[in-house]
Amino acid sequence: MASLIHCPHCGIRPKEEFSIRGDASLVRPDPAASDEAWNDYVHIRSNPRGRYHEHWQHGAGCRRWLVVERDTFTHEVFSVTDAASVARKAGR
Amino acid sequence: MTRTYISHHPLDGLLPLEPGIRAVDHLDVPRAVAIASVMAMEGEEASVTAGLAASGDISVRFAGPGEWLALSRSETPDSLERALSLLLAETAYVFEQSDGRVVFRLSGPNVRRILAKGIATDLHPGSFEIGTSSNVLCGHIGVNLARTGENEFELIAMRSFAVALFDDLRVMGREFDLSAGFSTLG
Amino acid sequence: MTAYRLASGGLVDRNAPLDFRFDGRNLAGFSGDTLASALLASDQLLVGRSFKYHRPRGIVTAGPSEPNALVTIGKGANSDPNTKATVAELYSGLDARSQNRFPSLKYDVGAVNGLLSPFLGAGFYYKTFMWPAAFWEKVYEPIIRKAAGLGRAVLERDPQSYEKCWAHCDLLVVGSGPAGLMAALTAGRAGLRVILADEDFRLGGSLLGETVRIDGVYAPDFAETALSELRSLPNVTMMPRTTVFGWYDDNVFGAVERVQKHVALPQAKLPVERLWRIVAKRALLASGAEERPLVFGGNDKPGVMMVGAMRTYANRFGVAAGKSVAIFTNGSAGYRTAADLVAHGVDIAAIIDSRADVSEVAPDGVRVIRSASVIDTKGRQRVSGAVVERSGFEQTIACDAIGMSGGWNPVIHLACQRGAKAVWSEDLKTFLAPDVGNGLVVAGAAAGRYSLAGCLQDGADKAAMIVADLGFSASAHTAPVVDGEIDPSFTALWYSPGAKAKAFVDFQNDVHVKDIGLALREGFGHVEHAKRYTTNGMATDQGKLSGINATGLLAAMQGISPADVGTTTFRPFYTPVAFGAMAGTSRDEHAAPVRKSPLHGWAQRNGAVFVDSGLWYRPAYFTQHGEKTWRESADREVLNIRENVGLCDVSTLGKIEIFGPDAAEFLNRLYCNPFLKLPVGKARYGLMLREDGMVYDDGTTSRLSPEHFVMTTTTALAVGVMSHMEYCAQVHWPDLKVRFCSSTDQWAQMAIAGPKARLVMQALVEDDVSDAAFPFLAAGIVTLKGGVKARLFRISFSGELAYELAVPAGLGDAVADAIMEEGRAHGICAYGVEALNVLRIEKGHVTHAEFDGRVTPDDAGFGRMVSAQKPDFIGKRLSTRYGLTAADRMQMVGLKPVEADQHIRAGAHLLREGAKPSTLNDQGYVSSACFSPTLGHAIALAFLKSGRERYGERIVVWDKLAGAEVVAEVCNPVFVDPGNAKLNS
Repeated sequence: MASLIHCPHCGIRPKEEFSIRGDASLVRPDPAASDEAWNDYVHIRSNPRGRYHEHWQHGAGCRRWLVVERDTFTHEVFSVTDAASVARKAGR
Repeated sequence: MTRTYISHHPLDGLLPLEPGIRAVDHLDVPRAVAIASVMAMEGEEASVTAGLAASGDISVRFAGPGEWLALSRSETPDSLERALSLLLAETAYVFEQSDGRVVFRLSGPNVRRILAKGIATDLHPGSFEIGTSSNVLCGHIGVNLARTGENEFELIAMRSFAVALFDDLRVMGREFDLSAGFSTLG
Repeated sequence: MTAYRLASGGLVDRNAPLDFRFDGRNLAGFSGDTLASALLASDQLLVGRSFKYHRPRGIVTAGPSEPNALVTIGKGANSDPNTKATVAELYSGLDARSQNRFPSLKYDVGAVNGLLSPFLGAGFYYKTFMWPAAFWEKVYEPIIRKAAGLGRAVLERDPQSYEKCWAHCDLLVVGSGPAGLMAALTAGRAGLRVILADEDFRLGGSLLGETVRIDGVYAPDFAETALSELRSLPNVTMMPRTTVFGWYDDNVFGAVERVQKHVALPQAKLPVERLWRIVAKRALLASGAEERPLVFGGNDKPGVMMVGAMRTYANRFGVAAGKSVAIFTNGSAGYRTAADLVAHGVDIAAIIDSRADVSEVAPDGVRVIRSASVIDTKGRQRVSGAVVERSGFEQTIACDAIGMSGGWNPVIHLACQRGAKAVWSEDLKTFLAPDVGNGLVVAGAAAGRYSLAGCLQDGADKAAMIVADLGFSASAHTAPVVDGEIDPSFTALWYSPGAKAKAFVDFQNDVHVKDIGLALREGFGHVEHAKRYTTNGMATDQGKLSGINATGLLAAMQGISPADVGTTTFRPFYTPVAFGAMAGTSRDEHAAPVRKSPLHGWAQRNGAVFVDSGLWYRPAYFTQHGEKTWRESADREVLNIRENVGLCDVSTLGKIEIFGPDAAEFLNRLYCNPFLKLPVGKARYGLMLREDGMVYDDGTTSRLSPEHFVMTTTTALAVGVMSHMEYCAQVHWPDLKVRFCSSTDQWAQMAIAGPKARLVMQALVEDDVSDAAFPFLAAGIVTLKGGVKARLFRISFSGELAYELAVPAGLGDAVADAIMEEGRAHGICAYGVEALNVLRIEKGHVTHAEFDGRVTPDDAGFGRMVSAQKPDFIGKRLSTRYGLTAADRMQMVGLKPVEADQHIRAGAHLLREGAKPSTLNDQGYVSSACFSPTLGHAIALAFLKSGRERYGERIVVWDKLAGAEVVAEVCNPVFVDPGNAKLNS
């Protein structure tokens, strides 16, 4: 029926304004990385129950990609951060 | 052979040419508003914000971090683009979008109750102050919403959605006998 | 005649009589009645037949937990099945019908099921109808469906209108009884934004049926005073007729408001129902408590009713449930109702009390039988007596109604909807809401505070805490003083022993005590299993009355605590909500927005027939000169473009403006082919891969200035590509200095294609568009004669000499008209996506019919485009993996039937001649096929194993769906102008 996401740029918004891409902890490997690294990145997903970092895009809002940290079981949202700032902090 | 091309508004034929009876809650559609996308260059977000704030005649709508829509009722699309390009040279990219966007102005005592039928954002006067703007979903359609007066809001939609949004707004406003017409100001 | 309207009293307006119909009978009630109170006042005790045994059933409650009085209101498409008569507000002209009976309520054929009841015990579906399997669907199920059931779903289109709405508040108060009212007052006075919602049409909850005095004022008047103060507060919104049915993530509540369910002729401008999503910082649940039925023999006979309901009918509606009422109770509630009924002049036949020690005082002259139980009821279609057993002795007490009271069940539904389990209170002998954090607080009877004074106090106190929590300050309050209250205690009684008839637990689903016992014996004793095995607590009422008794029985039968049995899972919706309300206005043309091209009007004027393309409407073909089929139109359009010139609307293609010093670098990483050195004024075809090496999308990208590109995407993936680019820019490469914005809607874009395209363009454009000045893949800004700035691209999907002209969208119509006008001398025609598709298949150009997610650039013949030099691009690494480079991959080829009059259909598979159709023998598939008017026969694009080595080979095109086999020759996929002479002319 409803749930709300606190976009760091736009404020509290309904989930309909967002689309979800999946695991935000994955980092695109170097082109020279091993087959295993690339296979893991492209194909392997863990689907955990509990705390999870996901990429959500605020498509009907600021169009920014966000890292949403939430519990996949309770849908409790712990934090929402701009993905580019997360990527920059990680040195990307 | 020289030709003159006449511009069409997407709601031509759907709105009367002459202003009709205006209800207390009214949807006013300006035929021509100059609109441009403004995108700050890396690290220039603050100076673009300051530049736009100082521009006087140009209204600014927040679209995303470092991205805005700039609007003017008095400038032509070309002159707005030129003015912004001068004002924001070296700090922002400017792309004129006047034909790609359609402005809807809703006003009246029931405007919040009308908008609540499509928009999830809290529009209470204390929560959504005059001058606030943001991209939101109105029903199924993405719009830029701005509070432009005590009981006045503007929605900017992409042109291809204009008819669909207009139909939706009419249904949302039915309860309050919302009237609609092209802006008499042009 | 036994149930009747009292001579005076109640909150109904006796000056406002209302006519209504029930099963074709004309009856009358008053404004302020529910359908149930009006039926009762007309002595219509029998209101329905039970689900399984078709037993006669009467009104049991005065509220939303009603299991029996389910009726269909309205006629034809406007009828609402399974409406509870106990909450349906009476209006003039209301037309109600009983359900689940044939041919009439009084003489029901299905009641024979009652005789078969030994065979219809718990789990009978699972046991009886096992064999033969095919019989289930064809024989058993239709019969069971016909015999057992509630109201009938309406198959006609729902003519009623609905809408959805958002609301926001600091505090949502659910329920307007004593606790809710005091909470709303406390929070409203402190300045919070308060919403007070109640499912009843009249606010006040239990106060409306109370006889006590609060602060010296009659309870309903106390409620009215509080309500009028709330109405005067601008920060308080009152929502009567609004059921809060669900508690969702982030403290959003779902509610349905019955805006016009209570009017005979709804206004067109208002919805009949409105679905609310209420975003509440805090919520206070003051939903009260349900009275618990007693499980005794014959307890389902019309005339057996909750004592609380009897009291409500008497005090609020001025209706007596009977002339001589027997009351069976295990607590004080029975005595309170007896006193009220006596005050209204109703005779109390006896109070049968299950307890030995009783402190309550019965009204003067009323006989009390202690340590006793009702073991059976007399009467056929209504109660005529109660068989009472005490110490082994039976006696029959004549009466025309029996009130029952088994204690209280707090209504904690909402608090348990998000996973937290109800908690057993040994003290109160009931389940209470779990602690669910401060988002939702439970108060009053819903929290187990059964006394009126306790409810008033609890609502005010809990609201004061919320007020302080949210940073407001509450004014000091003193709790109202209540006169004449009773001690609301009871002794739990799960089953009244010695039953001589079926003792029902769930009236709606015909579950009786023995069914619960059977479920337990057969290993379905877990409360969730027992529910499914017996159907206890299923269907529309979801165990509102029966759930706790079933738990108590399961516990008692095993000698364990109800705490160890627990409750079944509470889920939204609290009460049934119409699908229409959930859809709101999202139906018909409002179900999905239509996107209209700026050239929509031009296309309409030129005879376009439109086709859905995602949200867009695109011209499929343009009908001319009495053409009867799409093929006639499309063939004409294709031939005309190959010979003369045509105009096609391509405004729907995605257009993205890309800015920044790193724009070229960004595109170079995004596309698999190089973009770094694309010169200003040039367009380039680009192929975007997914990270797994498969093609994602294609389009042309042009460089308008060193730091400004414009990309086109396919119509289908315009949104996806934009999002993909944003992901790459923000997540993969946040260091790149690049910005995008969509310009799809800014431009009206037209393809002008055909050998005479230049003649038409040059007539309109000031700039030189000759091949020398504006060669294939040129791109830039031009000026139309008359001064309009436009974008011009020399690109071609059709394979002809072609231009794409983009003008500001508002001018699109006028410019398209001008092109048609200038082109008339050159034989111009408008063409749609059907002709466009044929033209591109003839030229061997790909679309998403080819790029279906399984195709690599090399498969489609673009292998050489993929850059080997670039250090990285999306899809680079995995496109070199084994499997994507295998020699026997399916490669794109052309097909033409060996016999020229035969057809090929997309989706057909390819087989070697003589091979049997099998997965193993599969050689490939047809991705696109059409009739080529240019060549005069069918052609197709197909993916064939090692296809490019097999030109000239004959292959079988096997089409299982069409039942056709065609022999075709494998050929180069470019059927028209393979040397690109036309393109470069």
